[in-house]
Amino acid sequence: MKLLTVKNLTKSYQGQKTAVHPLSFDLHQGECLGLVGESGCGKSTLARCLLRIETIDGGSIYFKNEAIERLNERQLHAYRQKMQIVLQNPSAALNPKLKIKDSLIDPYEQYRKELSLRYFSYTSKKAFIKQLLDAVQLPESLADRYPHELSGGQRQRVTIARAISIEPELLVLDEPTASLDVISQGAVLALLAELRLSLNLSYLFISHDLAAVAQMSGRILVMKEGRLVDQFHRDQLMSDERHPYTKELISIFSS
Amino acid sequence: MLSIRQLSIRSGAKKLVDNVSLSIREGDWYALVGQSGSGKTLLSQAIGRMLPPNLQAEGSIFYKERDVLALSSEQMRTIRGSKLSYVFQDYQGSFTPFRTIGQHFEEYQKAHGCFDSRARQRNALDALDSVGLDESVYKRYPFQLSGGQLQRVSIAVALLLSPDLLIADEITTALDSVSGHRIMEFLAKRQKETGFAILFITHDWRPVKRYANRIAVMKEGQVVEAGEKEHVLDHPQHAYTKQLINAAPTLDRVLAASREEAEIV
Amino acid sequence: MKGWSLPWPKANKRRWLGAVAWLCVLLVGIVAIYAFFVLRHDPTLTNLDHRLQGGSLQHPLGTDQLGRDVLTRLLLGGQQTIGYSLLALTVSLVIGIPFGLISGFRRGLVDRIFMRIADGFLAFPDTIVAIVLSGLLGAGIGNLVLAIVIVKWVSYARLVRSTVLAESQKDYVLIARTNGLSPGKIMRKHLFPHIAGHVLVLASLDLGKVILLISAFSYIGLGAQPPTPEWGAMLNDARPYFQSKPEFMIYPGLAIVVTVLLTNMLGDYLRDRFDVKKEVQS
Repeated sequence: MKLLTVKNLTKSYQGQKTAVHPLSFDLHQGECLGLVGESGCGKSTLARCLLRIETIDGGSIYFKNEAIERLNERQLHAYRQKMQIVLQNPSAALNPKLKIKDSLIDPYEQYRKELSLRYFSYTSKKAFIKQLLDAVQLPESLADRYPHELSGGQRQRVTIARAISIEPELLVLDEPTASLDVISQGAVLALLAELRLSLNLSYLFISHDLAAVAQMSGRILVMKEGRLVDQFHRDQLMSDERHPYTKELISIFSS
Repeated sequence: MLSIRQLSIRSGAKKLVDNVSLSIREGDWYALVGQSGSGKTLLSQAIGRMLPPNLQAEGSIFYKERDVLALSSEQMRTIRGSKLSYVFQDYQGSFTPFRTIGQHFEEYQKAHGCFDSRARQRNALDALDSVGLDESVYKRYPFQLSGGQLQRVSIAVALLLSPDLLIADEITTALDSVSGHRIMEFLAKRQKETGFAILFITHDWRPVKRYANRIAVMKEGQVVEAGEKEHVLDHPQHAYTKQLINAAPTLDRVLAASREEAEIV
Repeated sequence: MKGWSLPWPKANKRRWLGAVAWLCVLLVGIVAIYAFFVLRHDPTLTNLDHRLQGGSLQHPLGTDQLGRDVLTRLLLGGQQTIGYSLLALTVSLVIGIPFGLISGFRRGLVDRIFMRIADGFLAFPDTIVAIVLSGLLGAGIGNLVLAIVIVKWVSYARLVRSTVLAESQKDYVLIARTNGLSPGKIMRKHLFPHIAGHVLVLASLDLGKVILLISAFSYIGLGAQPPTPEWGAMLNDARPYFQSKPEFMIYPGLAIVVTVLLTNMLGDYLRDRFDVKKEVQS
């Protein structure tokens, strides 16, 4: 079933050239859809538009067949519980003055009235935080620490834990491993793969790293200068039908 | 050409770099791979005698028969820039925001004794051309250029005086893979033309695999494995090297894995 | 408040300075409060038979030119000086902090309007405002406090605003907003911990300045009016007797100097303590 349908989405910033040209794609429930492109190609803009963090200039976005591109903030509240985002820079995504547990509890406190949890259960704040940290393979002792006491990889796991705490259906991951060292990258990708299955999530996995996208995703979209230039299943990656830009990316990542 | 012998760098009692020895020959592309905190940046700073003042270095670094650590600051200044140059990760911070690229070139050349202004301009435009940037960049300000372009300018400046060794400290880490790839292509091209050696410091060995001929892996201040690239990457000996190689996905492995899956089915 | 802990001194040798400063301020505070209960003498009751006496068991610091106990007046004066200074600062904070929070968070038109208002107030130097207000409304310590507030609130508003501007651009605020946290909740939970440190430091450094200001104005007769005991006023009262009984000027003068010194030490300590660069460095 189609979780997300995007039709002819456009977005431009004032006075500058178009960031996203009319763009359409579907995301199916349960899949990990990869989006690969270089920096400045509009993939982050697209991610923010999907989450309605940015306004859209044209086109439509359907979440489970409901149009969300024109909803106001109050109406969007219910949808925001179902679509969460993990951003690139884990240092900026966590409030440095708050303990980990206080950052983690934020989404739950906002949505608790509408929420009926299936995988997590809330008996007390402490127990809830422990479940979240367990899910991302972090020790409970980190709950009382501050972000600067954690490593980059640990911080990113915390932001993932925060995003899954309200059991969304779709997780948009915008360069989730870009600021991490090589070993942490591998670990976080493995964690994400596991979470997708255990929590029944769908991912939009955005990255400039074609290898990571190919590892994580079943279907792959390629973006260049605001346009979708290629769309294929991972098995078709090496096929001759690929767009020249895709082939260029492939050659960069093959050794 | 450059030989580091039993170099240790301390902060008080703590050893940040522990007894490291390695040597770089002319024309090598030497990749130094390690996570943050492994000491790789300190090592590169020590070569240029640019360590922060609270750290002490022991051991020796021989550049063509002379121990760099024993030279006076005068002598060091003649080497830095002309024989030994650096490119850093922070491309924005490497430039003065209110001066054009052309003015940066001017300043650099004047500092190293080039007094003919027409020659300076010619050198600058040639340098820009060699990294694939056209003349219009000469008059631009740093904020008007992209990360990839700025990094290429940094390389152009670093290679202006034909150094023997270029030290590139995480120069592609802050760039996306396509821009990073372009940078490395230019670097490889220039290296083929002029034959300088490169010490390429990085935390991610994957982009550099194609270009480097030798690799050293650093962990917590020590070199755990070093040697020819094929030896280290295809037949890693140390557990940490193996961990590093297997950690992040490479396209080859991903495709091999999906081919296996298809065969099983 | 979540995320904000009291700035107790850390186990560090350099911090003894801070600990001493804390203790002394506490001491002064306690003394000023306890003066209420310990006093045996009415500070305003004149007794011309016993004027200008030296130290004795009954009057440890002697009596002033109207026969009033100096020690009592000194203690009560502390209450006045420090109390009114704290009042002035508190009101400035109560006005300035929300102003800065709203201005920095809302941005746009609201920010521009607020800032023009703030700039307007900034144009007045506190001394002139105090003199003018005294002229218009009559001399008195209340008007002095008002004058101080009028000028001081702006610096807190601006401090808060600049911190809020910087932080509200960050991803964690964006994510909080996306998750539907109300602006009020974001300001309370996420932004307040950032400003608390800066504001506290500024306030403790300002405390010394305000004490001096109030004392100075009372000295020239524009602040506390007789018979209210207040250090600056006491300084002024003791002027004619400087040659015969210099201690009557020394006592309040010393009190002012020591208090201001202590508050400055406290401010320095707090500034060091709150200068937590570690979250920026990592």
